[in-house]
Amino acid sequence: MENTDKSLIDAHCQGDGTAFAEIVRRYGQGVFGYLMRMSGSREQAEDLVQETFKRVHEKAHTFRGERFKSWLFAIATRAALDNLRRGRRLRLVSLSQNVDCADGACEQLNAVAVAEGCYEPSEEAAMAERKEQVRQAVEMLPPRQRATLVLAYYQQLSYREVAEVLGCSIGTVKTQMSRAMQTLAQRLPDISGEVK
Amino acid sequence: MMRHRTEQELIEYQFKLASDSQMRQIAEHLEKCGQCRELMERLKRRFSALDLLREEVKVSEDLISKVAEETQGGVSNLTLKKRLLRSARNDKWRWIGAAAAVLVAGLSLLLVSNLPKEREKKHQFAKEPTTVASDIKLNESAESMRAVGLSDGAAAMKPLASALSKEETGAWRDLEVSGIGGVAEGTIPEQPPFAPASAIELVTLPRRENVQLTIYNSADLTLVRERRNLTLKKGWNWLQFMWANTLIDPTSLTLEPLEQKDKVEIEQLVFPARLREIGRWLIRSEVSGQVPFEITYFTSGLSWRAFYMGTLAKNEKTMRLESYVRVDNGSGEDYENAQTRLIVGTIHILDQIADLARRQYPYDSPVTIYRLYSDELADKKNAPVLGERIRGIVAADELGLERKEVKKEGLSEYFLYTIGGTETIPDKWGKRLLSFEANDIPVKSLYKYDEERWGPQTIRFVAFANDTKHNLGQTPIPNGDVRIYSQADDLGYLSYVGGTSIKYIPVNEKVELNLGPARLVTVEPKLMDFKTENYIFDTKNNVSGWDEVQTWKIEITNTRTLPIEVEITRGLGTAYWTLQFDEKEISYEKYDVTHARFKMSLEPRSKRTFEWTVRTYHGAREEALTKTK
Repeated sequence: MENTDKSLIDAHCQGDGTAFAEIVRRYGQGVFGYLMRMSGSREQAEDLVQETFKRVHEKAHTFRGERFKSWLFAIATRAALDNLRRGRRLRLVSLSQNVDCADGACEQLNAVAVAEGCYEPSEEAAMAERKEQVRQAVEMLPPRQRATLVLAYYQQLSYREVAEVLGCSIGTVKTQMSRAMQTLAQRLPDISGEVK
Repeated sequence: MMRHRTEQELIEYQFKLASDSQMRQIAEHLEKCGQCRELMERLKRRFSALDLLREEVKVSEDLISKVAEETQGGVSNLTLKKRLLRSARNDKWRWIGAAAAVLVAGLSLLLVSNLPKEREKKHQFAKEPTTVASDIKLNESAESMRAVGLSDGAAAMKPLASALSKEETGAWRDLEVSGIGGVAEGTIPEQPPFAPASAIELVTLPRRENVQLTIYNSADLTLVRERRNLTLKKGWNWLQFMWANTLIDPTSLTLEPLEQKDKVEIEQLVFPARLREIGRWLIRSEVSGQVPFEITYFTSGLSWRAFYMGTLAKNEKTMRLESYVRVDNGSGEDYENAQTRLIVGTIHILDQIADLARRQYPYDSPVTIYRLYSDELADKKNAPVLGERIRGIVAADELGLERKEVKKEGLSEYFLYTIGGTETIPDKWGKRLLSFEANDIPVKSLYKYDEERWGPQTIRFVAFANDTKHNLGQTPIPNGDVRIYSQADDLGYLSYVGGTSIKYIPVNEKVELNLGPARLVTVEPKLMDFKTENYIFDTKNNVSGWDEVQTWKIEITNTRTLPIEVEITRGLGTAYWTLQFDEKEISYEKYDVTHARFKMSLEPRSKRTFEWTVRTYHGAREEALTKTK
């Protein structure tokens, strides 16, 4: 039977060294995706993932609630916002790893896409351009709105979970989300019939 | 009149941001209002652009492993301290509460003694602080026990799944390490684990820090030494390796820490039953973190050969010599940035490494590899050391293999030849590497004529020596093919002169490169006269001895524009002979008992003719020659 998050945290607090590794493996992917979209940089996201789990590790004994995921993402959000405040981010927003192409991931992904017939070569450039427009549109959102958007839309957290993560009411979350979507409605490119 | 919904309302409807009643109202409105439906569809299409960025963002296993590893070991010291501190704070307040309760109890007792009617009630009240104090004691004990339990738990912690960094490209992908029985604090269990847990996670090692190949070309044998930084947990660690699809001899594998040698011990190498091509090292580490290791093993499939390109100057007095080696890798393993060292000389082995590598199990050989090499090389100077090294007993630097800057070094009767720099040699690839180049090597153009060896033709040679006078002599020259070119004009165009093979040339040895038949230098010997004389008869008047006198005329033609040296070797058919020349300046040397050799120089575009007479002694006349001498 799979261990619950709470039992893993308890086991960790009791000194079970494997428990925290299990937590990292369980949530590492999700936290990284969130921080990647928040920071816009794979490198920074990796730093933030480590920072997040370090904080979780140190503060595990303070966890009293039932919703570990919300608590975890709250810590990740604080790490991301702290990072933002420190001005360490070079780029505010990017929602895809395609932005961070230093490791050649773009070429690999594009090559796969072409190989699988996802895009015609002639469409590839146009698609990349539209993605960039979307990124720029999201980049211009204020950090809290962006965090709300990423958590609710991309991480698919419920508004209640987002509220727990951001430490605010559900009403505030919905307001932030509404404002974010109204802004995006004006800035997103029209890709009617193009999304595959 | 129907009110159209605003964009904001529709957005809140789409993303379920409105209240339930608003959601119902908008849904009803959309059923009726085509204009709002159209706006809604337009908004949906617009927001669908967000899905362009919905690509899954993959976190690298490396990162997950790193984070898991960094945070592994249970509750950190920091967390533990915080807990204890918090506990102490709680205790402080509990003690203060207890003291207050005791004070209240004292006052209560005083009141009870003064108020007999309420004695029973106050007595019950007076018990409360005592109970509280007792609870505090119990709590304190429990807290202490929990703290003790933590450290005990840490000491006897169950096996940890170690998560280590992973390098995907260029790494020896079959090497994995896992930590078991890791301990955050306390002592390491004395009893080593029998085997890693079945569900243990095995994570790929980091890439090689450096790798060194020592290739023996006389045998299909290469010694590989590579350095990798392994991340160990404190406690027992398993290092697993696989040699599938390679020609690595698993019995030759050795592992040795380069640092923290007193804290890291290689306990054993296990070849698990029923698992093919897998071996596991058990490592006991008293440290947690990165430790550089050196892994050595023999492999097959790597070979090398030398070849040379010589370019003669236009006057053919000097030559530029470039030496290359070609290394071919068919070992099944890629070697990145490898320092390549070549053994010149012959090594004798009983079994081919390729055969050892292909065995079903690494331990089914009747003769173990270390015994093979230690025994076979026992009479060599460094062989015992090599044998010990293979057993993993001798430290790495005892072999002298650390001296990377050394270009050449003697290894008993072998010679170690180091190629400068490092090279990447992928599997199934060959690579030509420049080993050395020397300019302005003084050379002699030498022409030889020896009918017994080459027939009636002149053979061209380029002669030099492997010494410092010839700008060489730094290292022996391995055997290989040589191609000689000559500068055809001032523009640097080259013409092919000839090619040959050379054998191993030690330092200070002379070299003569046979470039094949020469067309511009000819030697024509002609027999001009033949007679017999000085007959001796025995008692029966039979001929028992005589002399044969041959007069030869040799015409040498040099149509080249360069001065040359010519060496003519003539076989005389007997050991009893004398020579006479018509010219005093012509001389000869006795090459061997039946051969004479003449040497002379010719000017450019010149012809030289000389005659010589050879008298050979036969039968009883041989004694006459002996008496004369």
